[in-house]
Amino acid sequence: MTDSAIDTHELTKRFGDVAAVTELDLVVESGEIFGFLGPNGAGKSTTINLLLDFVSPTSGTASMLGLDVTADREELHRRIGVVPENYGLYDRLSGRRHVELAIDLKGATDDPEALLDRVGLSPDDRRRPAGEYSTGMSQRLALAMALVGAPDLLILDEPTSGLDPNGARELRNLILAENDRGATVFFSSHILDQVEAVADRIGIMKDGRLVAVDHLEKLRQKLDGGARVTLHVDRDPDRALDDLPNVRDVAVGDGTVRATCLTPGAKLTFIDVVREVTTVTDVRIEESSLEELFASYTVGDGGGSEFPSDPTVPQEVGG
Amino acid sequence: MSVGTVVRKDLADAGRSRALWAVTLVVVVSTAGIVGMVAATSDEGVTRVFQLAFQLAVLTLPIVALVLAKGAITLERESGSLRLLLSLPPSRRDVLVGKFLGRAGLMLAATLLGGAATGLVVVTMLGGDLATLVPFVGFLGLMGIAFVGVGVGISAASASDGRATAFAVAFYVILVVLWNLIQQGILAGASVLGLLEAGSEPAWVQFIGMFPPSRAAIAGYDAAVGGGHVFDPNLVTSVWFPALLLVAWTVVPVAAGFVRFRKADIG
Repeated sequence: MTDSAIDTHELTKRFGDVAAVTELDLVVESGEIFGFLGPNGAGKSTTINLLLDFVSPTSGTASMLGLDVTADREELHRRIGVVPENYGLYDRLSGRRHVELAIDLKGATDDPEALLDRVGLSPDDRRRPAGEYSTGMSQRLALAMALVGAPDLLILDEPTSGLDPNGARELRNLILAENDRGATVFFSSHILDQVEAVADRIGIMKDGRLVAVDHLEKLRQKLDGGARVTLHVDRDPDRALDDLPNVRDVAVGDGTVRATCLTPGAKLTFIDVVREVTTVTDVRIEESSLEELFASYTVGDGGGSEFPSDPTVPQEVGG
Repeated sequence: MSVGTVVRKDLADAGRSRALWAVTLVVVVSTAGIVGMVAATSDEGVTRVFQLAFQLAVLTLPIVALVLAKGAITLERESGSLRLLLSLPPSRRDVLVGKFLGRAGLMLAATLLGGAATGLVVVTMLGGDLATLVPFVGFLGLMGIAFVGVGVGISAASASDGRATAFAVAFYVILVVLWNLIQQGILAGASVLGLLEAGSEPAWVQFIGMFPPSRAAIAGYDAAVGGGHVFDPNLVTSVWFPALLLVAWTVVPVAAGFVRFRKADIG
């Protein structure tokens, strides 16, 4: 059996009185693309900082590729590629020189030009000192450095920040290509579209805890939300519609009948029943987006959630 | 292997800093220039001129060394390039050692350049012995590296560059500018407490006198030029003891800085 790409056990980090990460058990399997989601301050960055040995845990353990993140960090860091958050470049060194630095330090044999081609940093730009780079160019360069040595695990912290839509699409393709090569990809983001488009599984952090982790489809199914079905009708139905199984929040008005259907079958039942009592002229179905999913996990579940260190509000959700 | 790459990176990066070269140039030109002026306008002999040049250099070179070294870690921490570097295989120890070696190398180059320029000025104008240049450059070199050690140690222990700058300034003021005053204060206090007989000068008093790196460098240079024995059993007139003290001033601050840096949160 191969080692998990990432495995943390009751990983906890407190800064003074503030618990940034609390008893985190996170397992990312080898070969998957894992999207790590959560609002700012939820503990995503601290988790990644712990994994990279930038900060040391208050308690608990963490390993990647079967190697302890602290004791085996040198061997481990040879086998991972990282775009950390809030990184800086060496202003006076060229882009190419940065990639050469990563190649030297990893003892790799990559061709820097080939890597810079892959991330789309133009030949002119790669000769310029990195101090002149835009955010997008910096991100491309950092990505090229992360790809050095064909890493077994890519850790990308907010990799889309600073990229234009075009760059974001290129990044998505790159993530998929690296995954095809066999690399596990772990990336954090607050841009949900990015996660939705490529992630096999997602984990959602809130208040330093992992509140949900599963395949996207399964998370959707777990949601109360279901699909929002809107039927345009030529006259309002004169019969109550709120006793149907797996159909809820029925609303009538403005020439429409709206309801939330929890299962695929419920959608058909709902449409059939409405058609019995009135004439349906149009149908619109909105699957709950990841955005709503995300919101349902991270906001508005009563009091206590504003205090990240409050230990009396367990948020466990099986995954 | 990592250390060597970090050193090369640091030399390439810091070596492109114009501010750094400007500071070095100012120091070299001013030291050599002032010595040249002294040599041209006074009747002092070669030995005396070299001594004046040395006493001037122990005031100016520490500034260059501290400016060069105090941002070694903190600036990388603040720019975030440290996060990039530590994402790669080098450990914090590799980074710190590499940084120290890189900055010490730059300092040594600047000192050799300045020392050679000064020596050339003196020898050209007054004639005399190029051999004096060996202890001159040697002890200035050791002292420069010691101040780089102090600066890098401060940088490793500081959470921000502002703090590192404050510590570096404090170090310079206390151990270079105010040491006379502090030394006298200590002696006066010791007299009052009856630890020191009037007029006597036990070894520990002499040690306090040569404790700062700049004083140690002067003691070592004077001993070497004054024909002192390298392995003189008397610490103060020996060459080896000041040299050893300068090595300690190099190693201890870097090691102490590492203890802090090893545990620091690179957030």
